[in-house]
Amino acid sequence: MEKAKIIALKESVLEDNDQDAQALREELRAGGTCLMNLMSSPGSGKTTTLLALNRAFDGRLRWGVMEADIDSAVDADTMLAAGVPSVQLHTGGMCHLDADMTRQGIRALGMEDAELIVLENIGNLVCPAEFDTGAAINMTILSVPEGDDKPAKYPLMYETCDMLVVNKIDTLPIFDFDKEKMESYARARNPEIEIFYISAKTGEGVQALADALVKKVKEWNAR
Amino acid sequence: MSEVRVIQVNESIFAENDRSAELIRKRLTAQGTLFLNFMSSPGSGKTTTLVALINRLKGSLNIGEMDVDIESSLDAQRVADRTGIRSLQIHNGGLCHIDADMTARALLEYDTEGLDLLILENIGNLVCPAEFDTGAHKNVTILSVPEGDDKPLKYPLMYQVSDVVLINKIDALDYFDFDLEKAKERILALNPKAIFFPISAKTGEGIDEVCDWIRKELEAVRSGKL
Repeated sequence: MEKAKIIALKESVLEDNDQDAQALREELRAGGTCLMNLMSSPGSGKTTTLLALNRAFDGRLRWGVMEADIDSAVDADTMLAAGVPSVQLHTGGMCHLDADMTRQGIRALGMEDAELIVLENIGNLVCPAEFDTGAAINMTILSVPEGDDKPAKYPLMYETCDMLVVNKIDTLPIFDFDKEKMESYARARNPEIEIFYISAKTGEGVQALADALVKKVKEWNAR
Repeated sequence: MSEVRVIQVNESIFAENDRSAELIRKRLTAQGTLFLNFMSSPGSGKTTTLVALINRLKGSLNIGEMDVDIESSLDAQRVADRTGIRSLQIHNGGLCHIDADMTARALLEYDTEGLDLLILENIGNLVCPAEFDTGAHKNVTILSVPEGDDKPLKYPLMYQVSDVVLINKIDALDYFDFDLEKAKERILALNPKAIFFPISAKTGEGIDEVCDWIRKELEAVRSGKL
């Protein structure tokens, strides 16, 4: 099996992350690449969702993935095995990525012709929400076993995100998860947030999410 | 020749934190209170587990609980409603962890005199809380079955600093590809002294065993072994 290249990220020294993120977003748009920042708790199914999306994209997008983790290369190895160009980024214990670290990753991935690059951020609902990575789309995953109260407890994450993917809906019968309560918490923070229900495991709802994403990416790149 | 003054600047903020943590620990040990710090990912069941533990122990132990959240008060309210004990909600204003100074400030607001057990429910986060000693005697981390058995590979520090790992939601084992033995193996590779308790906070399975462990640790604090 092909082993993922591991990139040790250097801590950024730039003072103004927002400015740097804006510059990165513009550079990427000029090059016809849409960057998506994927965030969630640990274990909510980020990698499994990306694998399911890859099947549902069905070759409609040239895309690559940057897997950020504190340690290990399991996620990038998994994506590579599915045929998706991937690099593993190691943050050296850091709890988030900023725009400069993201730029280092994009350079290491080396996909100038990519239409979509996904940054799979560190599994954390707090710190990643505070740092603009230069992404055009911020997506968060909330898995059913985590509970419907997460948008009330980690509000900034839900304010920051354009798309909310509720994963593991195949387990709804065994957990007390109230969809309406969750939606009302999320929309109280962010009335515009687009919500999708999926099971990355069974594939339910994945096609609709993939179609929406393909449309968003093509629109962004045509701007 | 004038004397050159040397200032040591390479001491980290962690050293300062470690000193504050040690003070908290000493004070609680002196008054015979066991202090436990509960950490985990968001949604792994910290509050539900604490409610189950407190309800089982409150007949024989005097228990206090402090709940850290960014801005909501859902958890402290839940603990208070479901157990009847005194619970303090700490809002940390967007921070990703709680350190010893924040704990010390909370303890100014919360009278712990006469408590047998003081519990801190940390922010749901597997990264930052692991870096800060809160002054607790023991760190407990919860890993829930739906999160997957690979978490120790990805968040190693959390498992290195935890004395006890509660593997929660074992009632859902049939629905997820979670290898209990593999999870234990990975945690033991990081921390050979880790103690495990498979539990379901929902059904109550394994909760008695955790309570026994807590009683043993309380004895250790009171006999000067902790």
